[in-house]
Amino acid sequence: MTDRERKDRERSATLIAAALALPGILPANASAQAAPDEGVVALRYYDYRDWQPGASRMTVRSPTLYALVPLSDTTTIEGSLTHDAMSGASPLYHNTLSGASGLGVTDYRTAGDVKVTRYFDGNALALGAAYSDERDYTSRAASVEWRHFSDDRNRTYAMGFGAAYDRIDSSNGLATNKRRETYDLLLGITQVLSAEALIESTLTWSQGRGYYSDPYKLLDQRPDRRHIVAWLTRYNQYVPRFDATLRLGYRYLHDSFGDESHMLEAAWIQSLPRGFNVTPSVRYYTQSAAGFYHDPPFPQGFVGGSPYTADTRLSAFGAVTLGLRVAKTFAGGTTADVALNFYRQRSAWRIGGGGSPGLEEFSARWIEFGIEKRF
Amino acid sequence: MGGQHELQVWAEDRLHADRAAKAAITDVLRIEAKYSRYREDSVTAAINRAAGGAAVAIDDETAALLRFGARCHALSGGRFDLTSGVLRGAWDFRRQPSRIPTDDEIATACAKVGWERVEWSDRSVRLSRAGMELDFGGIGKEYAADRVAAICMDHGIRHGFVNLGGDVRVIGTQVDGTPWRIGIRHPRRMRAVIGEVELCDAAVATSGDYERYFEADGRRYCHLLDALTGRPVDHWQSASVVAPLATLAGSWATIAMLLGEAAVPFLRAQHADYLLVAADGTVSCGGAAFESATNQ
Repeated sequence: MTDRERKDRERSATLIAAALALPGILPANASAQAAPDEGVVALRYYDYRDWQPGASRMTVRSPTLYALVPLSDTTTIEGSLTHDAMSGASPLYHNTLSGASGLGVTDYRTAGDVKVTRYFDGNALALGAAYSDERDYTSRAASVEWRHFSDDRNRTYAMGFGAAYDRIDSSNGLATNKRRETYDLLLGITQVLSAEALIESTLTWSQGRGYYSDPYKLLDQRPDRRHIVAWLTRYNQYVPRFDATLRLGYRYLHDSFGDESHMLEAAWIQSLPRGFNVTPSVRYYTQSAAGFYHDPPFPQGFVGGSPYTADTRLSAFGAVTLGLRVAKTFAGGTTADVALNFYRQRSAWRIGGGGSPGLEEFSARWIEFGIEKRF
Repeated sequence: MGGQHELQVWAEDRLHADRAAKAAITDVLRIEAKYSRYREDSVTAAINRAAGGAAVAIDDETAALLRFGARCHALSGGRFDLTSGVLRGAWDFRRQPSRIPTDDEIATACAKVGWERVEWSDRSVRLSRAGMELDFGGIGKEYAADRVAAICMDHGIRHGFVNLGGDVRVIGTQVDGTPWRIGIRHPRRMRAVIGEVELCDAAVATSGDYERYFEADGRRYCHLLDALTGRPVDHWQSASVVAPLATLAGSWATIAMLLGEAAVPFLRAQHADYLLVAADGTVSCGGAAFESATNQ
């Protein structure tokens, strides 16, 4: 290298150094790229009511407070607190058993959860804990979740593990100090397909053992081990022509109790002027009956010592949910929304083999109000 | 800052995109207001008003820009000079009809040009002769583009680009993972493209003789003035350079225009990818980014 070349090289190196010394030219938090830099506070109110022909059954009213606070460039903490007030009959009895227990009782549930997430070098590690308490049921849960973001942020891998410990002490004295433990494993992948499309797929295994019976249902006796596999896939497609997003979802679930279910959902999120958006949605659900479910008349099929249930939630049926959500985003990061959902379940709506006979249709509606502020 | 500007960012939702864009645009306007030579209240105006008088106190940002300007001056052998703006007094590209200044007029203007006559430190700057002018126009736009990219990245943006008057800085790739494709404007045929470059997390800047110029006696006199001679450059129609930062791409492109024939060895020494269009329209390229461009 000649002196001239060496001098030129030194000069160009000092130019690069001078460029890099310009303030604000490199991102400040390059190592913590995925950490949210804003906090969120949200308040939601949920009002649920279900009924069968001629009988109003169950109502639930619950406010939820949620907050997410960035603790630093790399750490966030989030948590929520819910208080439910439930009244009416325990849901979903056979018509023949309607009113057998619990009718007119108001119960309260208080639940809270907290999660701390730490972001580092394209990864996020989250530790969570949850607690739920009501008169006859207590649940404690812990979870750990790890996410890895590809360099271009177009793909996210997720892996999670959760454990829950429940205790059941029924008010009728049939179940005292009954325990149940559940372990979940989750594997997920999210892939950005283009500027307009994104797909997400999650596989969950759940392994549980303990007390699964319903102490308020006569003769109800269920296996003490349960294994569930669920596979959920979601696809989002932005449609520029309408400035709208189509959201599709499918979930398959297999339960060792013997039932199998499919859920299909579609939503259209339509942006409108002045910060409004409207989301009509439809969801179809179909399931087969659990192996130990027996059709009416009660207690047809009961054999002492064998698993038995007449709980209609484990019967074969199909169900449709129609929803409409209207949201408005205000300047300054506040969003308010109201959502109305209507649910109807009928044996005859099941796909692939008839539904369980002898059951009346079941309907529910729920209304949600929410307000969310980002800061 | 003249010219057309464009910012595209891709985020999970509109709120995040809007926030990033708003913060970025606010910063571009801040830099514009702070360094514009057309604004009475700008730092540039304050320094120029004090020419021949007392030193003017400056902040870290201004000091960093001066240091960068000093390096460009050294690297270009004195042709790139933040004080060369006064030459526009002699070469008035807006005058109708246009006129080539006399040698005397050029010499008079050149007497007010010269980085060596700028007394500067991290704290203050002083133009030693009355009538001298400092102009950050040659680096301010590219500096703003790099800051826009950094601000967007700090807001979580992984895909996007900013185009400030033809100087482009891209963030990441396009959302589908393919590089951003940036067209290089043809220096003679408006709206035509002479080449194309694919970029990820990088910048491309073009300096050309077509932005402001007049023609006289069959010759084109452009606004890029060599601080050593006080005259417009005429070796290249345009120089486009790829670099990791817009600030580097912009200064290398301008220096390439000023260096004339020596531009090619200069750009090679910087390991920069480039596309040069000679006065006769011949295209020469260097580096992988422009390899396909000559097939046009």
